[in-house]
Amino acid sequence: MSKISATAPESPTAPSFSTLPAASMQQEAKRFDMDDIFNSLNLGVCVVDADGKVLLWNNWIAKHSGIKEADALNRQFEKVFSESVSPAFLTALKNTLAYRLPVVLSTALHRTPLPLYNAFEVNQQQPRMYQSISITPIQSQLNEPCCLIQITDSSTSIKREKILRSHSEILKKEATTDSLTDICNRRFFDAHYEMAVADAKRQKHPLSIFMIDIDFFKSYNDYYGHIAGDNVIKQVAAALKSQLSRATDIVARYGGEEFVLVMPHLPQEIAEQFAERLRNAVFNLVIPHINSAPFHQITISIGLCTGIPKNSDNMLNKADAALYQAKQKGRNQCISLPLCEAEEYLQQ
Amino acid sequence: MNNFSELHLDALTEVFSIGAGRAALSLSEIVGDEVRISVPSVQIINSEDINSTTLSLNCGRFGAVSQHFSGPLNAEAVLLFTEEQALKIVSDMMGSQMSTDELAEFEHEAMCELGNIILNACLSAMADILNFTLESSLPNYTVASADEILHRLKKNTDQSYILILHIDLAIEKRHTAGNLVFLLSSASLTNLIIHIDQFLGSIHE
Repeated sequence: MSKISATAPESPTAPSFSTLPAASMQQEAKRFDMDDIFNSLNLGVCVVDADGKVLLWNNWIAKHSGIKEADALNRQFEKVFSESVSPAFLTALKNTLAYRLPVVLSTALHRTPLPLYNAFEVNQQQPRMYQSISITPIQSQLNEPCCLIQITDSSTSIKREKILRSHSEILKKEATTDSLTDICNRRFFDAHYEMAVADAKRQKHPLSIFMIDIDFFKSYNDYYGHIAGDNVIKQVAAALKSQLSRATDIVARYGGEEFVLVMPHLPQEIAEQFAERLRNAVFNLVIPHINSAPFHQITISIGLCTGIPKNSDNMLNKADAALYQAKQKGRNQCISLPLCEAEEYLQQ
Repeated sequence: MNNFSELHLDALTEVFSIGAGRAALSLSEIVGDEVRISVPSVQIINSEDINSTTLSLNCGRFGAVSQHFSGPLNAEAVLLFTEEQALKIVSDMMGSQMSTDELAEFEHEAMCELGNIILNACLSAMADILNFTLESSLPNYTVASADEILHRLKKNTDQSYILILHIDLAIEKRHTAGNLVFLLSSASLTNLIIHIDQFLGSIHE
């Protein structure tokens, strides 16, 4: 059979398509059989006539519906299936036949209009295949209005999307997490800091930046070794993180043994109390450090800057300057510098 | 446009209101909730007069569903929503159990379907009332900036007239405004007028 036929060879009673003389078709004859093409397509192809009778039923549909071509041809489309066909599909089919306008049924809104399955096994409960369907009006060679129904399996594309999304989420998390401590990394901090400052500026609420450094860390590393040093960094990071409870607060590893916290909406006094809590949390870890006088254990110094940022303010520099003072004054303490000394001075 | 009167415009508004009603009914069936669509106004302008104001295209990106159709009228129909609105519509239609990020993957196909339903409903109403049938391509969805859309609309110099339907779509209490734009050649517009005149004649007899 070398013509584009909508009828199966074994059903000579089928009305349309097959009535043109073979000779005229022969001139246009391809060197392959169109039936082979339909049956090899990786999508469902079905043609129904104006009465809704099936004229073409390719292998793909046969395979995914479990209904053989011979059992489908010349029967009403919706009656071919033993299960129900969605009303939206039937309306779409009716409209296409009535108005000759093409219709799409998206996966998003319909999911599974037809009882099709990825692996068809009789009597086995399994979910229907996700489908994308388009219905296009076509004409038979006798000028009868017919409809071409094309069905693609969208489960693979949905699965692919899901895999890609979960990969991208993992990558996004990895790109913003410090691998040693599992807290935020410098890249995340830089982006977050910009946004937090912009937010505070716009809403005129205070922002607190805590710069934190582990005291005498270099000599700890020299004496106890790098592996022990890494462990200290991990423990300190965990201790700092354990003090945070609001979603708006972040702690990030700023550099080697330096950390930074960004917390909005804290009045100066509360921010200072919080810094003290941070210092205590690390102090209470009681990690021995023989070369750290006078406590001989791991301690941190904190530089705090709190205030409502304005355009020219650099809160990070202020917090860094405060940290430097804390180191100068003997470590294991917090120094707080107001954001704007001039204003502070005027208020006094 | 010379022969296009207020009466013609009223008749078209009527036709498209019926189309909108049909589209709303189909959408309600899919969404399982009341969907209302109205066409508050219809406008015909020269395509060189089209600008961002006539289409209320401000900044941002737009989702455009287009279908070409042929027959007594040869035209391109484009349904325009802002991309943000498009995502909200899809989310409302799907029952909003997903985040906007997750919706993005469905946006394309779902918007094609939404556009297809509205466009087909308008075309079928025209077919029923004005008594002509049109053939149409499958819908195509693109996301573009306002400039790109205007450029595309103006590019085709054959189609010198633009029929604009301002559309209000309400799903679950959320109102969305969009535009349905038909690009028509002057021959197509003339044909449209003839069909409207026949329709008006038939009701006056």
